[in-house]
Amino acid sequence: MAILKMKRLRLMVARSQKDELLRALIRLGCVQFSELEEDVQHLELLHRDESETLALKSEHSALIHAVELLDRYVSEKKPLLASPEEVDGDTLLDSSGKADALSLAETIRDADERIRRIGAEESRERAVIESLQPWLPLDMPLDIDGTERSRVLLGSVPVKVTADKLDDAIAQVTEEAELFEVSADKKARYVLIICAKEAVADLQEALRVLDFTAQSFPGMSGSAKQCAARSTQTLSSLAREKEAKRAEIEALASRRDELKLAADRLEAQLAMSQAGDLALRTDEVCLMQGWVPAEKEAALESLLSGFDCAWECEDPPEADYPEVPVSLKNNKLTNALNMVTDMYSLPAYGTVDPNPLMAPFFILFYGLMMADIGYGILMIAAALVALKKLKPRGGSLAFCQLLLYGGIATAAMGVLTGGFFSDIPYQLVHLFNPDSTWPGLWHLFSPESDSELVLYGSMVLGLLHLNTGMVVSAVQKVKNGDKAGALWEEGPLWVILVGALLLATDLLLVPGTVLHYIALALLVIGVVMLLFGAGRNAKGFGKVTAAFGAIYNTATGWFGDVLSYSRIMALMLAGGVVGKVFNTVAIMPAQASGVNVFTMLAFVIIFVLGHAMNFALNLLGCYVHDLRLQCLEFFGKFYSDGGKPFRPLKFGGKYVRVKE
Amino acid sequence: MEFLNTIGGGALALLGAAIAAALACVGSAKGTGITGEAGAGLVSEDPSKSGKVMILQVIPGTQGLYGFVIFFLAYLKVSGSIATLSVAQGLQVVSACLPIAIGGLLSAIAQGKVAAASINILAKKPDDWSKGMIMCIVVEFYAILCLLASFLMLNAIAI
Repeated sequence: MAILKMKRLRLMVARSQKDELLRALIRLGCVQFSELEEDVQHLELLHRDESETLALKSEHSALIHAVELLDRYVSEKKPLLASPEEVDGDTLLDSSGKADALSLAETIRDADERIRRIGAEESRERAVIESLQPWLPLDMPLDIDGTERSRVLLGSVPVKVTADKLDDAIAQVTEEAELFEVSADKKARYVLIICAKEAVADLQEALRVLDFTAQSFPGMSGSAKQCAARSTQTLSSLAREKEAKRAEIEALASRRDELKLAADRLEAQLAMSQAGDLALRTDEVCLMQGWVPAEKEAALESLLSGFDCAWECEDPPEADYPEVPVSLKNNKLTNALNMVTDMYSLPAYGTVDPNPLMAPFFILFYGLMMADIGYGILMIAAALVALKKLKPRGGSLAFCQLLLYGGIATAAMGVLTGGFFSDIPYQLVHLFNPDSTWPGLWHLFSPESDSELVLYGSMVLGLLHLNTGMVVSAVQKVKNGDKAGALWEEGPLWVILVGALLLATDLLLVPGTVLHYIALALLVIGVVMLLFGAGRNAKGFGKVTAAFGAIYNTATGWFGDVLSYSRIMALMLAGGVVGKVFNTVAIMPAQASGVNVFTMLAFVIIFVLGHAMNFALNLLGCYVHDLRLQCLEFFGKFYSDGGKPFRPLKFGGKYVRVKE
Repeated sequence: MEFLNTIGGGALALLGAAIAAALACVGSAKGTGITGEAGAGLVSEDPSKSGKVMILQVIPGTQGLYGFVIFFLAYLKVSGSIATLSVAQGLQVVSACLPIAIGGLLSAIAQGKVAAASINILAKKPDDWSKGMIMCIVVEFYAILCLLASFLMLNAIAI
């Protein structure tokens, strides 16, 4: 429940044992390698091994691509909720079968490429057939362009140019020409003109005025019908080939698992190769450097004792903290909040882990915003099923846990607000027994009738939340020896806060007592402290601007921050109201025409659809707004982010996972 | 005032309910429309993403629903007494309906644009599409606030 303490590892190992060591370390999964420091002596004597990382990378992506292609041609049939297959470390480190898998991947890729090219060829042939359509009635070979004395012109004119018009135009140029109309469609008229050789140029000039477009068929021999028939034949043979290639890929689908395993094996090799790239070597010895969590040092020691190596672990000096990778150690409850920290940014090394601080507030706020027994039960059920069936790890595990805890909080808050799918118990009871005086489920407070209370309650929770952040910030400052910082930055705010609370109690509850003066005095002291604190590090006129800046920022910042918590009330109310309207609409048919099969069916349909939508929207909406309260308002008070995630050398395949 | 009296409070109240539903629904239609257009382009390239496109498309649809919720509550409130409603009461209902009518109309369109842009995320970085969804939900909050403002005002009107 803290940031894991890291130690810097320096390691020298006999070069012949390097690969074996990396294989042992990937199984252990707790060492992250980094670049060697610059200050190593005699750096000029050290070399890097030739890297095979690039080659491995391209092989790995070829395998992944092949699996994706397989998935596209033959979708895999697997149960909806299934956890990935588990294998042991030996299986993943075994590199046999790689060549087979690579050639399999190549076959699949080639077949896919051929299928694509066939697609292009097919559309070309189809275009040819399309362009031949108007010329099918012409039984003259298309590649004849004339005789010794005559020329053949093929072309089209817009349909509005009639054959008579064309005839007239031709007659004006020459008498030694003949026009044949081949066909016509909605847009154009397709014509064949035979004329004397000498008249061709003049004729073309005259025809251009009538928008005549000449057409030629390069590379085609025989009549249009013959050409079209040839293309149709090509099309069908292409289709047969495509089908054959497709069948070839489909036949390989049974070897999908083999490909997947090979891809994950390569991924492990790639990870080891990348770690190995960071090492420097002499002829006999490899030098490596990295990070290991302090709690794993013993395990590492027993592993390294089996190798010819020299090594040391040391705590990083504070100056190196920005380089230290960060890993959070969580228990079952706080692990759920990794969802939030991973998405935002990890804390810097040497600061606090926000998860345990955030967990109670995040879950409570989520519950308040959803606040419905029915929705809570749905969330718990979904989370439990997913945890059992998917056996999630890492990010998905955090998600399922968060869903579970959020569900529990939602159900608990639902009990307090008396919401079960909004107000369905009340509606149903009153439907079946109109004379009933039952007021609905018991509730401590209801967002609808006590909306003011809920609004102020939300803001009080907000104050608590923000103050927790400030306490953390103050404690951290004191720990780091900055007592003055804690006194002058957090101190004045607390004095003002206590003053403001006293004033509020005084005004609302017991007016006109001595409290009034104490409160005012506290407020004044607080503001003075704030002014002094802000100006203490500035010089000259800077003191004044810093002081006014502090007043302005504190006033607007706190005002905005606290008001922001009103979203808790807003979401709580909105979810309930929308649900209630769906319930009312769902029950209307039954109210209007009595309870029977049809009205009950209508009830079920409207109820299920409406609540499914409301549920989905609230599930996401509450998460986003809870997130905002944590990341913006809460983290703003104390969090220093920017930690680099700890990425140890370990198995990280896409398809199978290693047994724990 | 004389003129308003000739119209009557009932008609005014119905006018309020009508704009709540109509404007918010127009906004949602426009919002889902913008997203749908962008989504259709993606689905034509990659039909397997149609499920996620649909989720993004329905997000700007909620404003119409909120508008309908307020319409429904306003309608239930006045339906029994349309003939006897005073002009003042009628105008109260119109005022109560305004937030979701205007807020729903504009926020749905704004959200539609975000959702349409999120289709790009889905196309280029499919693993990160949920981040686009989160951006859409940020816009949603203002529609929720409008819904609440309308709801609280409607609740406060005595008829």
